[in-house]
Amino acid sequence: MATNILICDDSSFARKQMARAIPPEWDVEVHFAADGIEGLEAIRAGKGEVVFLDLTMPNLDGYGVLETIRRDDLPAMVIVVSGDIQPDAQERVKALGAMAFIKKPIDADKARAILSEYGIMAGG
Amino acid sequence: MNTQTQPVVDLNEDQRDCYQELTNVAMGQAADRLARLLDAYVVLPIPKVNLIEANDLRMAIQEVEDESAMSAVCQGFIGSGIAGEALLLFNDTSFHDLSTLMNYPGELDRFAEMELLMDVSSLLIGACIQGIGEQLEIHFNQGHPVILGQHCKVEDLLKPGNHQWTKTLAIEIHYTLEHVNIDCDLLLLFTEDSVIKLNDKINYLLD
Repeated sequence: MATNILICDDSSFARKQMARAIPPEWDVEVHFAADGIEGLEAIRAGKGEVVFLDLTMPNLDGYGVLETIRRDDLPAMVIVVSGDIQPDAQERVKALGAMAFIKKPIDADKARAILSEYGIMAGG
Repeated sequence: MNTQTQPVVDLNEDQRDCYQELTNVAMGQAADRLARLLDAYVVLPIPKVNLIEANDLRMAIQEVEDESAMSAVCQGFIGSGIAGEALLLFNDTSFHDLSTLMNYPGELDRFAEMELLMDVSSLLIGACIQGIGEQLEIHFNQGHPVILGQHCKVEDLLKPGNHQWTKTLAIEIHYTLEHVNIDCDLLLLFTEDSVIKLNDKINYLLD
């Protein structure tokens, strides 16, 4: 069965870059969200088993999404994809329950390495 | 009106989004270096990207209040036929905390402030320019930084007539630090001709 993955980023360019970086052999259905509020809606609708989450977004940022996922115990494995590469940012999102952190700009090699390292991509 | 046929300098929504995202990555790299230098956390905003008339520069700067006392540095950059200027507007109230975080010895006089301003601006401007350049495969050469003024109002730092172009692509990044009083505004301004070449590179990425 295809895995529902959600790409949550306010930049349409970044969403496309992320979508292109998803390994082609991974059986997925890709969904998109343009801010944290849309992202949470999609996760609650079951569209975000795996979430690629940006941090800096209007309305509700990535930190807010992580807090809500944890508070409401939503079923989502979150990989933060961000240009905020400060050591503090990485520690904070891990503390909030993010599984992994990918530094922007994203490419296919980075995405593949993280997905197999954490066993997120079945058979990867 | 100019009757000559010239390429139109324009910016559509996809291009703006792309500039914003490229800036987002570059300013994150700059913030990382600043955070390591000061051992503090830099709060990252969403950068603002606008095509403006050079005379409207003041209006384009949203994050600086009229009455604040500011000091400013500018630094030119050029590469692959693309040229521009980076401008760092530094709120004078930030110097106290900055000198503490940088363990600056001695009295915080005008010269000390100048030195601190030069250190921060070379770090932030350099990292941002190179960060954008890397993503677009442009190597930018940077000119010498120049102090535009100390303890001035922003309108005096941005006097019209200092620029040779009419339209400019302006990218504004407002950096603040968590728990300490440091805030500054970084502006990247690209010349009119450069915007046409930059847009070509952006269109290639958007393809």
